[in-house]
Amino acid sequence: MIFNARNLPSNDNVNPYAFCVDVAGEMFIQKGKMIAYYGALRFESLSAGPYGALVKESFNSPLYANDFVVVTGQGRLILGDRGNNIASYDLKEGNLTVRGANVLGFEPSLVCQESTVPGYLTLLGTGKFLASSNGAVHFLEPPVRVDEDALLGWADMPSPSYRYDYGYMRGMFGMVRSMIGGRSSGEEKQLDFTGQGTVLIQSSEMGLVGSTALDDVLARTGSLQQNELQQLLSHINQRLQQS
Amino acid sequence: MPEYTLVNSKMLSVTLRNEEVFAKRGAMIAYTGRVDFAPSSSGSEGLGGMAMRSVTGERMTLMSARGTGEVLYAFYGRHVTMVHLSGETFYAESESLLAYDGRLRSGTQFLGSSGVGGLIRGAATGSGLFTTTLTGSGELAIISDGDAIALDVTPDRPVFVDPQAYIGHRGQLRSDLVTDVGWKTFVGQSSGESYQLKFTGGGTVYIQAAERGGNR
Amino acid sequence: MTRFRLENSRLLEVTLQNERVMTRAGSMVAYDGQMKFEKAILGGEGLFGALKRRVGGEGFDLMTTSGTGRVYVAQNAAEILLVPLQNDRIFIESSSVLAFDHGMRSNTVFAGLRGASSGQGLFTTSIEGTGNVAAISDGTAIALEVTQSEPLFVDPDAFIGYTGNVRQEFVFDVNWKTLVGRSSGESYQLKFTGGGIVYIQPSERR
Repeated sequence: MIFNARNLPSNDNVNPYAFCVDVAGEMFIQKGKMIAYYGALRFESLSAGPYGALVKESFNSPLYANDFVVVTGQGRLILGDRGNNIASYDLKEGNLTVRGANVLGFEPSLVCQESTVPGYLTLLGTGKFLASSNGAVHFLEPPVRVDEDALLGWADMPSPSYRYDYGYMRGMFGMVRSMIGGRSSGEEKQLDFTGQGTVLIQSSEMGLVGSTALDDVLARTGSLQQNELQQLLSHINQRLQQS
Repeated sequence: MPEYTLVNSKMLSVTLRNEEVFAKRGAMIAYTGRVDFAPSSSGSEGLGGMAMRSVTGERMTLMSARGTGEVLYAFYGRHVTMVHLSGETFYAESESLLAYDGRLRSGTQFLGSSGVGGLIRGAATGSGLFTTTLTGSGELAIISDGDAIALDVTPDRPVFVDPQAYIGHRGQLRSDLVTDVGWKTFVGQSSGESYQLKFTGGGTVYIQAAERGGNR
Repeated sequence: MTRFRLENSRLLEVTLQNERVMTRAGSMVAYDGQMKFEKAILGGEGLFGALKRRVGGEGFDLMTTSGTGRVYVAQNAAEILLVPLQNDRIFIESSSVLAFDHGMRSNTVFAGLRGASSGQGLFTTSIEGTGNVAAISDGTAIALEVTQSEPLFVDPDAFIGYTGNVRQEFVFDVNWKTLVGRSSGESYQLKFTGGGIVYIQPSERR
């Protein structure tokens, strides 16, 4: 199949790993996810003059402001994300929280806000957004416990809480921690979802570039004062000496 | 018995009814119901296997999941393949084994030229040529980078495999480590492999479309 | 023409009947029959090419496999794009080349300023003649048509190759680097005009 500007799917997947957006107006897209386009498109920073009103209405996340751009004009835009699967989601007066790094784009009819869970963005309202996942997305109903690394997001439900395996708890009391060794795995610590709604999971976020936790920490250092940065530095040094 | 279902190409669901399943540590991604997880260094394998592994430094840490509910497994976006056994033995490269249960008896076996020479060579390269053997009737799940590929071996057609691409085999097969100058110099250069695995006899060899330890 | 067949989307099977095939070094995962492996130099590349490769750090080596039997080729579980050519020519990003018919002529072309900033993709390989060309693609490759009236813009990291009378330009755009390019990013985009087909992958090159 050979595609051109006329026969490319309109707002649909080209294949499981590429999505074609029929741009006619404005849309928020994550930086670096454009792989090709036909037509006359412009990519502008959120801070660019004409978009003040748009950002005020739809983009309420200083932490992610530098990760997104506004695409405008007329054309067919193809998005890809490191060979991950891409799916589009239609929200109708809904709310869906997704791992920030996996939000590839959204229509300005939605409002994007930072979740209280670090590393996640919440999309509210009515409209379409695009998200990537390692493998196809699998939907689960609560009650369910999920490994953080495999969590993609959740819809129409309260934020999760952590649930530790009893073995891990005992380990914390100093008995068997060394046997299990090092970092906890999904078997020892999970996110516990209860109530009504839907949980979205993927095979793993691992294998992807970058770490959500680190990105989040780095983004937050921007607002720190001089003395706070010093405290952070000594904390890091202490941690490094311990390990 | 535990019920295995592929959710999609990269995700396995195991339904337990007061039962137990052994799976690769770190592969559990979600569960419902009442399930307890505990490290199980050996699965249902004997002492011999453990001794063998400690000699070579090969470690296969398994987690046992016991209880009633549904457990979902996935591992770094690897593809999952189900294998059905009926009274036979499956040899799985230890890192490629995702899940199995007590219906299968596990052990450890070195793959390649037998004897001390072979053992040292395998251990020296750290390529994990120790396989986990699973014997009996039941199901097991293996993981691979890209879908697993089954290659038929017949007595008149031996197959040569890059050890880094090997994930497992079954049937009446003999395996040998073979060195080939061309292979040594040009094929395995990036991974430093100096040999290939030669399978002769009758059976099936499973390979993946990547070398273990690649950049994925 | 040597028989190329995709065993699945990530594994190429090449059947040889006392024939030869060129494959990327290190990409063979299995074979049967009687095979011989030899180091090969990318055709027409010469000393200059070898030097360029060293400068660019591409580490792109080919080998020739000859004999009778089946050869299985794969690379990092990437998907494989098969392009059969009939007396035609493909320009392909060197790091994307997986295998091609031994009977085809290959050459390494210096692709202008391309990659100067990232040290990547300094060369494009041209493969010409009649036969099969296999390229690796992170995710399923997409074929996009270029016509006089419809130029195409592509992220250099997603570019695999092109066929036809296509003109490739480097468009330097301040916005591109700061807004669209990845952090490790390119300071330019590729613009294709003319008439032909451009192949891209839904991912940046690893």
